[in-house]
Amino acid sequence: MAELIFFRIALGAYFVSAMGYIASLLAGRVRVARASMWVFALAFVLHTVPVVARWMGAPSAPSAGVYGSLSFIAWVVSGLYLAFQTKTKTQTLGAFVSPTVVVMMIAASAGLMDEHPIPFALRGPLVTFHIVLQLTGGAFFALACLAGIVYLVQDRLIRGKKVAGFSRLLPPLQDLDRINHLCTVWGFPLMTLGIIAGSIWARSVWGSDWHWDPKQIFTAVSWVLYAVLVHQRVAIGWKGRKAACLSIIAFAGLIFAFIGVNALFVTMHRF
Amino acid sequence: MTIALLGINHRSAPLHIRERLAISCGEGGKPFEELKKISRIQEVLYLSTCNRVEVLVDMEDADEGLEGLKKFITAHGNLSFEEMEKCLYVYRGEEAVRHLFRVSSSLDSLVMGEPQILGQVKDAYRLCVKQKASGVILNKLLHHAFRVAKRVRTETSIANNAVSVSFAAVELAKKIFGTLQGKQVLLIGAGEMAELASRHLVDNGVNRMIFINRTYENAVRLANDFQGTPVEFDLIDTQLGEADIVISSTGSLDCIISADMVEAALRRRKNRLLFLIDLAVPRDIDPVAGDIDNVYLYNIDDLQGVVDQNTQGRLREARKAQSIVDEEVAKFSEWYATLEVVPTIVDLKGKAEEIVKREMEKSHGWMKNIEEEERKNIEILVNSIVNKILHDPVVGLKKESRNGGADPYVAAVKKLFRLK
Repeated sequence: MAELIFFRIALGAYFVSAMGYIASLLAGRVRVARASMWVFALAFVLHTVPVVARWMGAPSAPSAGVYGSLSFIAWVVSGLYLAFQTKTKTQTLGAFVSPTVVVMMIAASAGLMDEHPIPFALRGPLVTFHIVLQLTGGAFFALACLAGIVYLVQDRLIRGKKVAGFSRLLPPLQDLDRINHLCTVWGFPLMTLGIIAGSIWARSVWGSDWHWDPKQIFTAVSWVLYAVLVHQRVAIGWKGRKAACLSIIAFAGLIFAFIGVNALFVTMHRF
Repeated sequence: MTIALLGINHRSAPLHIRERLAISCGEGGKPFEELKKISRIQEVLYLSTCNRVEVLVDMEDADEGLEGLKKFITAHGNLSFEEMEKCLYVYRGEEAVRHLFRVSSSLDSLVMGEPQILGQVKDAYRLCVKQKASGVILNKLLHHAFRVAKRVRTETSIANNAVSVSFAAVELAKKIFGTLQGKQVLLIGAGEMAELASRHLVDNGVNRMIFINRTYENAVRLANDFQGTPVEFDLIDTQLGEADIVISSTGSLDCIISADMVEAALRRRKNRLLFLIDLAVPRDIDPVAGDIDNVYLYNIDDLQGVVDQNTQGRLREARKAQSIVDEEVAKFSEWYATLEVVPTIVDLKGKAEEIVKREMEKSHGWMKNIEEEERKNIEILVNSIVNKILHDPVVGLKKESRNGGADPYVAAVKKLFRLK
């Protein structure tokens, strides 16, 4: 239960940093965002405790279940953002990342209430591999999507010659594009490997690797969109607005596969 | 005797009319030759920059002179009557002086406070002197204008505005690229605004500068100043593929960078972000290019808009500058007003001298008997009496003219002394 205490303190810290970030945008002070970044980093460190504890406690599927998966994604997104933060001038991107993390953390703690046992079919080392890769890939794409959204806002403002107010606080376009680019090209192989691992496992427990399961279908659609995006970025040289738009659309598909499908369809792929 | 100024500028007339007029009027001595021929015009200054064409005159008869000047403008600008009414501004007297002071102090410029205009006015004046088109009044007026410009420059922070416009360009570049380290800048054309912006970019970490100019020597000169590389004019296309920031400020009439060129360059540069800054009027870069993805196009008005959003201080400084101009206009008017009594004073003194001369000649008969030295003393005495008598009326006339009410006194003096 000690992990839960850490989890709640981390959630609190994430919340404080999110408020700080938003306040910095409202007040128009980048310095406040810089302070919020340290709170955010602290929250990330605290968050590491429940994530690791979960891993030690449930070696079979540490990040399965609503709580485990969302907490894990939030943790990866936070760590990833902090890593980018050191390389780019994107303090205020935190104002978009931290609320997202807070929402995921709150949803995760809601998931704590009704943890149901993981079905037998979803236990095994390959499943763990599959889930961790999928979630990490998803976290990369989530950050790509956030950077893409902020890119579109900033692009709009600069194009509209409204650069004195809000735009001054938002990160530079090229940094946002770089985050979007790196997250996309790193997230894609992770997700691809995750899908391969999943399909191998599916073949061994369900006999076939493709079931026309809604979750599979939507994941596949998103994967194709990401494949197109990676191709356009790496081979054609897409940059900026178009890439940002596509990464937002693809991520919407991914979210639907992850959450929406559970609510709307009957899926054998429940966790 | 009236000072008048008429002309068109970036606010009053569209560019094609300004260009047509400037080109038709010609350069160097050509406009002066024509202007001097206009009847009743005594002194004339012709000023032509990329934003304005103005003629400043001092003339004997305002109506007749202005008629001739308007003909000059409409003929060269190929203007219809309506166009002329719309584009041409005519200032007389104090208003003309005020306009000249405002122009020289860069208060009337497209980018307020830009340093170029004073030099252009000075060049115009130099030419005017060379063409022997200037006289007492324009000499005094222009030197006064240079003094006002200097005062405005030192006593207000108007000059900073031009700096902040180029600074805004740098801030924007940072908003687009994050860091300017390792970025490449392409500078097309020359001009103080462009050079100012380049200097700011270099100060902020840009380390590769490419210079292009229609006159290759100018590109070489700039490249030496900035330790950049000069490139031939026809290589704009290639360079567009390389540069991250393009500053264009040529005097070209047409766009020198079309949207197609930008689109093609973008393909070659694999869509890397491109920041285009168009400081030229008329525009050098097709505005449509700004709609292309990953291309950000700002022209001089956009940049000024950014600066205006940032500060209210500019208005305050402009008001300060305006009051300096008003003050100086008043000083000049005071001097100029005394001019209207000057011919009367000259005539009065002339008449007195004439009388003295005549009377001395009449007395020649008896004066030849006295010594040379004493004759001289008599002459001095007579002159001094005349001057003493005239002193008070002359001072009085000047004083009245400063108060603007010299006319009745001038008339009285003329009548009483039978001056013509």
